[in-house]
Amino acid sequence: MQQTSKGLKFSDVLITVVIALVFGVLFKVWDTVYSASKLLFPQSGQLTYGLWFMAGPFAYLLLRKPGVAFIASSAAAIISMLLGSTWAFETVVYGVVQGLAAELVFLLVRYRKHSLVVAGVAGMMSAVGSFCVDLYFGYADYETWVLVLKYGLRFLSAFVFCGVFAYFLVRALEATGVTKSIRPLSQSDYAALDK
Amino acid sequence: MELFTPQKETWFYHVNPAFKFFIIFAALLITLFNRNFAFALHLLLIYILLLVLWSGYSSRKLLLLLAPFVLIFISTASTMILFGKGDVIWWTWGIIKISEESFFRGLLLSMKTVSFGVMGLLFVLTTKPLLFFYALMQQFHLPPKYGYSFIAAIRLLPTVWEEFHTRTNALKIRGVRYKAGMKGIYERIRLYAVPLLAQSIRRAQRIAVAMEAKQFHIGSSRTYYYATSYSRLDAVLLLLMPGLLLFAYISAQYIPIFEWQPPIQQ
Repeated sequence: MQQTSKGLKFSDVLITVVIALVFGVLFKVWDTVYSASKLLFPQSGQLTYGLWFMAGPFAYLLLRKPGVAFIASSAAAIISMLLGSTWAFETVVYGVVQGLAAELVFLLVRYRKHSLVVAGVAGMMSAVGSFCVDLYFGYADYETWVLVLKYGLRFLSAFVFCGVFAYFLVRALEATGVTKSIRPLSQSDYAALDK
Repeated sequence: MELFTPQKETWFYHVNPAFKFFIIFAALLITLFNRNFAFALHLLLIYILLLVLWSGYSSRKLLLLLAPFVLIFISTASTMILFGKGDVIWWTWGIIKISEESFFRGLLLSMKTVSFGVMGLLFVLTTKPLLFFYALMQQFHLPPKYGYSFIAAIRLLPTVWEEFHTRTNALKIRGVRYKAGMKGIYERIRLYAVPLLAQSIRRAQRIAVAMEAKQFHIGSSRTYYYATSYSRLDAVLLLLMPGLLLFAYISAQYIPIFEWQPPIQQ
């Protein structure tokens, strides 16, 4: 990597925050899907819960830079608060914790891997983060079977949304060509110059 | 919009927006970590009182804005009441088990959730998002590249929202049918997210280039068109908020409106 300046450039930050904005809009619409899916069976809503974790891992897969996962996750929460979401401050607490948890996974792979599994694991770490906040909030005082069902489904959903869905969405975006100019240059890009 | 014009601007509107955010956030962290029933109840009542007194909105409008919280209160509490753990059982039916503990824990959870919602509403009603980010940059030294990114992104919201509706209509015209199950969920996300994101990323990049050319990203030496500062009101809030929290705590200890303690484990 031959990045000269440390940290994120202005354009990186702006793109990350705009991605968070799009997710903020999707979150708002997703509320309806979440509410509808709650009616299937107890805790079935958790199957669609993974979307709330998706902004961070998605931004990382797209931009491949340190810090973007945390910024995207927190920004999506802050923006949805300013849009007047009824969950407001609660979302901000969750968004920041989930963003930190996901960022930790990307830090551990030193921002070098951009695979489906890494993103999925980051999503599951976000789910762990949300579980910790739930514990303090009091969302976790359930009968054991409900607890296992609720968080089992949530972990599963986190992997599917942040790993599988985010990965293929980024692939689809790569096909549109927008990723070419926003990612850090790779060795192959420099090799192309020598030809 | 008519709905979002306050009757009068109270002093709370003129508190430094970023400072206001952190004070409310700190107060809500106490709510988050608290597990005492009476304290949570007193906090919630004080928060509702603050909303009524400080928002400057008429009580009719506030009732309208608070209506969703009734639903949230019921739906949050009911899951915990029906499936929460507990030993002093009131009623069982199939997989449903209502116990004293689950009932009060459900109410506790709902009170906390609504506390967050009420204070969030108070913050959003009394704060201009633009000034919030300007205050973060000026009083809390948030690097301008972050502050201006948020400000620019918020300006893009109407465009993204419009594109979302255009997309909905386009898909409707094309008669798109979604598959069942997880595949259908992915399809739904893909058909919306890919065009919305691709457009937004292109746009963000163009805006970033333009803003960088105009030196929006430079550091601490810059000046701001909207100057925010601290005032006496911030000191008032800084003294008032801990006072109110302390009052809620002490009154919950000695003259609780309603008290519940979890039964001691055998």
